[in-house]
Formats: sequence, structure tokens, C-alpha cells
Amino acid sequence: MTSSIYTRAINVLAVLVVVIWLIPVVWVALTSVKPTNVINAETPTFYSFEPTGEHYVEIFDRFRMDRAIVNSLVTVGVSTLIVMILALPAAYAVARMGLMGGDTWALVILSLRFLPGVVVVLPYFKMATWFSLIDTQIVLIVVYVAFGLPFAVWILRGFLLDLPKEVEEAARLDGLSWLQIIFRLILPMAAPGIAVTAIFTFVFSWNEYLYALFLTYDSATTMPVALQKTIDLYNVLWGSLSAGAVIQLLPMILVVFLLQRHIARGLALGAVK
Amino acid sequence: MTAVAVEARPPRAAGPSAPLRPGAVARQQRRTAYLLLAPCVIILLALAIFPLIFSGTLSFKVDSLYNPDIARFVGWRNYNDLFDDRRFWNSIELTVIWAVVVVSIQMVLGFFLAVLLDRKMKGAGLLRTLIIIPVFISPIAMGLTWRFIFEPVSGLANWILNTGFGLEKWTWLSHKDTALATLMFVDCWQWTPFIALILLAGMQSISPEINEAARLDRVRGVTYYWRIVIPLIRPVIMVVILIRLVDSIRIFDLNFIMTKGGPGSSTLLASVYDYTIFEQGHLGLMAAYGFLILILINIVVLAFLNTLYRTEKAARAADQP
Repeated sequence: MTSSIYTRAINVLAVLVVVIWLIPVVWVALTSVKPTNVINAETPTFYSFEPTGEHYVEIFDRFRMDRAIVNSLVTVGVSTLIVMILALPAAYAVARMGLMGGDTWALVILSLRFLPGVVVVLPYFKMATWFSLIDTQIVLIVVYVAFGLPFAVWILRGFLLDLPKEVEEAARLDGLSWLQIIFRLILPMAAPGIAVTAIFTFVFSWNEYLYALFLTYDSATTMPVALQKTIDLYNVLWGSLSAGAVIQLLPMILVVFLLQRHIARGLALGAVK
Repeated sequence: MTAVAVEARPPRAAGPSAPLRPGAVARQQRRTAYLLLAPCVIILLALAIFPLIFSGTLSFKVDSLYNPDIARFVGWRNYNDLFDDRRFWNSIELTVIWAVVVVSIQMVLGFFLAVLLDRKMKGAGLLRTLIIIPVFISPIAMGLTWRFIFEPVSGLANWILNTGFGLEKWTWLSHKDTALATLMFVDCWQWTPFIALILLAGMQSISPEINEAARLDRVRGVTYYWRIVIPLIRPVIMVVILIRLVDSIRIFDLNFIMTKGGPGSSTLLASVYDYTIFEQGHLGLMAAYGFLILILINIVVLAFLNTLYRTEKAARAADQP
């Protein structure tokens, strides 16, 4: 009996901790629909205000959020696609083909994930200047390919190592080529793993800030950079800022619910295997 | 990481067509493997290795963002300038403190959070899904939101502390004594769930037989976690610490958006410091500092792997009679 009360108390504690943990996320959503005078009032409120859409209008009108959304979608979407096309054969090669030093290759590729952004961003900046690509979507796509590739190869390799070998062996005996095996056999079999990898790659680039800050300033800015523009030295438009933040967060929250239990597996694969 | 990877890897089976004509088939297979790997490696060479070499060269030059004509080689001058600068050492020290403190707190809290979420109640899956949200949202959006929460006059933090605990309103982010701690708090908010989730995945992969044996032996509560869970998920713990250490040393986004190093230089961590050098236009100096950050990361990683390797060896020696 006491143990059941004890269990129930811990269950309640677990719920409480999660709810408290998420207050900031709830807070930004609430702030985005509060009138400005309520936002700046000395006593914050969770419920007593008239919801308004004015900040969402302003973030589009004044801060060109529409353009930032398109830029983010294009650069992140295209680079994720390229990353996946490059990563799948590479991951297959290091995972399955008995490559000499396959694991060493995988580790070397992964180690590039740990490069500090400030070290490589300067050469990117210089190169982009030479090719007059500063403030274009192209330069961000190229950089995000390099940024996403190491991690994608690493997680995909983890997923591929878990697949059963027998089907591939049968296909080999039937005389299918490696590319045929990868795209006709592995692609459908590893589809969940590939989807998880693609979503992770998308998320990392979607949230990326440093490269976007250095390589774009106006017409190609992505959402994180556009958000930061709601702040100047003297004045912060908390309402517009929150509206922009919500627009940037929403797809990520959707992703979290879409992935659910795959997240732990994906993260663990990326971390451990 | 190597040690862990070696253990986690399944034994490599012979190639599929091994019985047919071993030599020729294996050779052809290896060639195909290199071909499949090539595009990825070439792109990474062009976009990671080449920039590194470029940056390395630049670190021995004077090069100005605003006046490209003055570019020339100056040998070790940039490095000497940095070593002579007290603020440089200050930022390195701050970064090391930051990484150690933040990762320690996150590991401890993350472990408790994992234990808390490791239960068979209705809705536990939903809780696990909800708690991971902070990891997936951008440090920029969240950093700015936290700035609003810590805003002195109308911020939520001061209101809660004031009405709930009777504390005076405080300028959390713009006072040099509290800015770093506030930043640490936000970083822990964002990354503790990441650690919790990975530890949780480790805990749930412990085989039912072991848990059953523990139950029969009446090993419960703290003893269960200390004697059974932690030793079993040690490899996971080590890798997570390593990843978080490296990411904490490189931290830029949150630091830049919340304090930009200020007030004064009380939160001037390495990457943001490097950015301020860029703003001043000293590209050579920026490259030199970037390289020193890279070296710092390598030192930390190697030191960590070294300790890992030695404790692993000691543990294995202890197992032998």
C-alpha cells in the first residue's frame, strides 16, 4: 500500500517536472498573442488578456518573415536532400562492404562534426566573397551540406548495421549491383532510419545560426537571423519577437511529435554506435 | 569514443560472396565501396579540410576585413599577440569553467530526470516526448525568449521570485555577477533533457533478466541504480559527456544572443570572443584564435579518452582473478 502511494507521488512529480520545464515554451506562445501593454506590464499574466494577432502581422510586414521562411525552407530543404543522397551510399560503404578501416573512415567523418564553427566560417566567408555568393541561398546550401553530412553518415551507418544481412546476400547472388541493392533494397528496408536521419539533418540546419550570420545579411537571411533583427540597441519588440519565435518553433514541435520514440533511438545511435 | 565503438560493433561477418572466388570478388567489392564513399569524402575534403588549411594559413597573416591590401605573412605574431593578451587567457579560463560546470550539472540533473521518466505509468511516453522539445528548438528563439523572461521589470523570473519568495527584482543578465550563472541555467534547461533521453534509452536497453535477478535479490532504489544501472550504461554516459564537453566549449549561439559576452567580459566565452575579433576586422587574429579553440577541444577530447582508456584497463584488470 505504502509503495503504491510512493509510486503515485513519483508519477505526480514526473508530470510536475515536465510541466514546469516547458513553462518557457508556453510563455513565448502566450506572449506572441498578448497586446503590447500587457507584455510590458509589471505583473505578468497567464490568462487575463485579450488575444491579438498584431505581432504576427508585424513580424511579416516589418521584419519580412515571409522571405525568411522561404529562405529557410529552400536552403535547409535542398541541403538536406543533397546530404541524404551523398550520405546513403557512403554510410552503406562503411557499414556493410567490408571496407578496410570502415570504422576509421566513419570516425574521421564524424570527427568533422566537432569542428568549431568559428574556425571554418572565415574560409567560407572568404570563398563566398571571391565567388560573389555572399547573401545568396546557394552559399548556405553548400555550407549546410558540409555541416549536415558527417552526422548523417554516422546515424545512417548505425541504422544500416541493424538491418538483417540475409536479403542483401541473396540479392548479391542474384547478381544485383551495389547501387541496385542500395536503392532498391536498402532504401525501402531502412526507410524509417533514413527518415529519422533526414529529419535530424533538417532540424540542425533549421536552427543553425553562426554560418547564416556570417554569410547572409539581407536577401538570403534565414529565420534565426531574421528573428534577431527584432532587437536593436534601445528597444526590443518582445511581441514580434515571440511571434517570430513561435513560427520558428512550431515545425520543430511538430517534428518531435512525428518522431516520438524514434528520437531516442536516433539520438542514441548518433551518440553511441 | 573509440573504445566504446569497438565494444558496440557487432562482429564482422565474411563478405556475402566469400565462398565463390574470395580474392577477386573482395577486391572488386572494395573498389565499389571506395567509389560509393568518394563523393562524400571529396565534398568533406573541399568543405571541411580545405577551409581548415586555409584558416591555418590565414592565422600566420595580417589580414583586414576592411582593408584587404595590407594582407601579408607575419609568422607567429598573431599567436604571440593572443598569448600576451590577458583577456584571451580570461576567455579560455571562462570557457573551461563553463564547460566543466555546465556538463557536470547537466549530467547529474539528466540522470535524475531519466530515473524520474523511467517508469511504466500511463502517459510516460507523452512526458518523454514533451521533455525533449527544448533540444529541438533553436538557441536563438529560446535565448531571446529567456531574455524576456529574465527582463528586470516585466520579466516572469523576477515576478515569480518576488511574489513567491520575496526576493528583490534583479538584473540577471546585465549584472556581471549573475550573467554567467543565468546563461548556465538556460543552457542546462536546453540540454539536460538531451542527456536524460540518451541515459533513458540506455536504461531501457538493460535486459529483463538482469532486472528480474535484481528484483529477486531485493536490489532496489539507490542501490539498484548505483550498483547495476550506472555500471551497465557507463559507455553511454562517457560518450554523452564527451559530446557535451565538446559542444559546450564551442558554444556560440546562446552566448551571442543572450549576452554577447557582456556585461564587461563576464560571459565572453571563446567563440563569441573570436566573433568580436572578426567584427574588429582582424581576420588573421580571428583564425589564430579559432585554431587555439580547436586545439583546446582536442586536448580535452584526448585527455578524456585517455582517462577513459585507463579506467577501462583498470576495470578489466580488476575483473581478472
